[in-house]
Amino acid sequence: MIALVDCNSFYASCEQVFRPDLQGKPVVVLSNNDGCIIAANKEAKALTHIPMFEPVFKIKEVLKANNVTCFSSNYTLYADMSQRVMDTLREFSPLVEEYSIDESFVDLSHYPSSQLENIAHQIKERIHKHTGIPVGVGTAKTKSLSKMANKFAKKYAENNGVLVIDSNQKRTAMLAKAKVKDIWGIGKKHKARVENTGAKSALDFTKLPLAWVRKEMTVVGERLWRELNDMPCHEMVSVVEPKKGIGTAKSFGYKLDDYGLIEEATSSYIAEVTDLLRQQQSAARYLEVFLQTNHHSNIDKQHYQKIVITLEIPTNSTAKLTKEALKGLKKIYKPGYRYKKVGVNLIGLVPDTDIQTNLFYKEEKIESPKLTKVIDELNSKYGKNKVKLATVGNREKQWALITEHRSNRFTTQWDELLTIGS
Amino acid sequence: MSLGKVNLVKKSKKSHRVARPNQTGFSSPATHYTEPRIDLNSELISNPSATFYVRVSDDSFSEYTIFKNDVLIIDKSLMPKHNQLALVTKEGAFQIERIGVADTKETFQLWGVITYIIKSTL
Repeated sequence: MIALVDCNSFYASCEQVFRPDLQGKPVVVLSNNDGCIIAANKEAKALTHIPMFEPVFKIKEVLKANNVTCFSSNYTLYADMSQRVMDTLREFSPLVEEYSIDESFVDLSHYPSSQLENIAHQIKERIHKHTGIPVGVGTAKTKSLSKMANKFAKKYAENNGVLVIDSNQKRTAMLAKAKVKDIWGIGKKHKARVENTGAKSALDFTKLPLAWVRKEMTVVGERLWRELNDMPCHEMVSVVEPKKGIGTAKSFGYKLDDYGLIEEATSSYIAEVTDLLRQQQSAARYLEVFLQTNHHSNIDKQHYQKIVITLEIPTNSTAKLTKEALKGLKKIYKPGYRYKKVGVNLIGLVPDTDIQTNLFYKEEKIESPKLTKVIDELNSKYGKNKVKLATVGNREKQWALITEHRSNRFTTQWDELLTIGS
Repeated sequence: MSLGKVNLVKKSKKSHRVARPNQTGFSSPATHYTEPRIDLNSELISNPSATFYVRVSDDSFSEYTIFKNDVLIIDKSLMPKHNQLALVTKEGAFQIERIGVADTKETFQLWGVITYIIKSTL
């Protein structure tokens, strides 16, 4: 049996752990640059008259009038709280698949079926007690069924956040209640195809002939059909494959036309992605840099350009990649525009152990893996970005994200701890 | 279900091995007696994923000899026993409470048990 454990409105819940005064009150979390709402708790979702998908600046007054507390996203905090939840889950099972920042599959096959209901409740209670994060638990024989059980656990109050599908009777009852669109991973086209057969519920879908499903919905549909019919097709994944491309692109806090500042932002993003690159022991063959103005703006002139640079030999040196990125940036930068975003992507990743060197390639001093290693070691000892390239700059990061309402990094910074007192 | 590839168990950095003699002259008589140095993280924190640190901003908890700038180590996984100190919330505000002592009729929610108080004496 597999449990899907899913944190309830995770980002908002993280904030509320440290703000007991917001218990039972509406809370939303904003995207980078505080542009729009990316998460809302139950109380905020209940305010259905507020158009939550609108840009924040348009609904700021309504939010205020309804006493909605807004937080800028604090991913440092969310990542640590997520780790706490995952670690607590590992007390129940040696096999936990971290599916996303707020969702995990937990293998429960080592528990006798008579205990599953009890274990599922224990998971929910222990996570809440130890970390302060409320979760829902759906348990079933396959991943697709446990995903659906999880939804039902939260949707129907009588389930109290826990639903264990441990009999055929419970399975069919759930499937009969679920619509075709509630099936995890079913797209618009397939939904229409299934509904054309006259099927209304997920249960009807599971009763379609397998041959039809295979023909009309390919192997993807077949797997879904099997999973919902209690036949596991998706195994637990516990080893994350190295990424095939790594990139980052963030909107600037303000529109920029100063080339120097854009250079600094680019260097800083390169430092971020090359760090990840080395962590997974890869090297990049190609580097892409792009620069764009705000295409939502109708007062600014528009410019978008990207460049792909082929590196002579794959590398993961921050210095080398920064040098190449800035060369590329120079080529695509046109003065006279107000830019909103710069991005870098490392593509064509290969394991750094099998880099094919070129007989005629002369390594530059700055590329030396020894230098990179020393810098990495210093930074891991003394703190992120303590040693950096001068191109990243030392002045105030005018291009940095606007995070006006960010909460403290309560669990990772000694000078940002939760404080109590009168 | 097959287990597939299983995550490797994380090893602690602590070495319990006998230190290799590195004196160039006489080998150290302590060779077989070395032990890893005390690590406060492992002594004071039994459940890292449920442990939080909280700083005190003034002297309003002086009755518990908790003063300004002290840092409390709080373990949310524990159930408080009689007479233990706990961080609680009352009407949405953080408070410190000695469990089961005062016969208050006030209701509070437990946030976590205070396990240690770190004070700077400098």
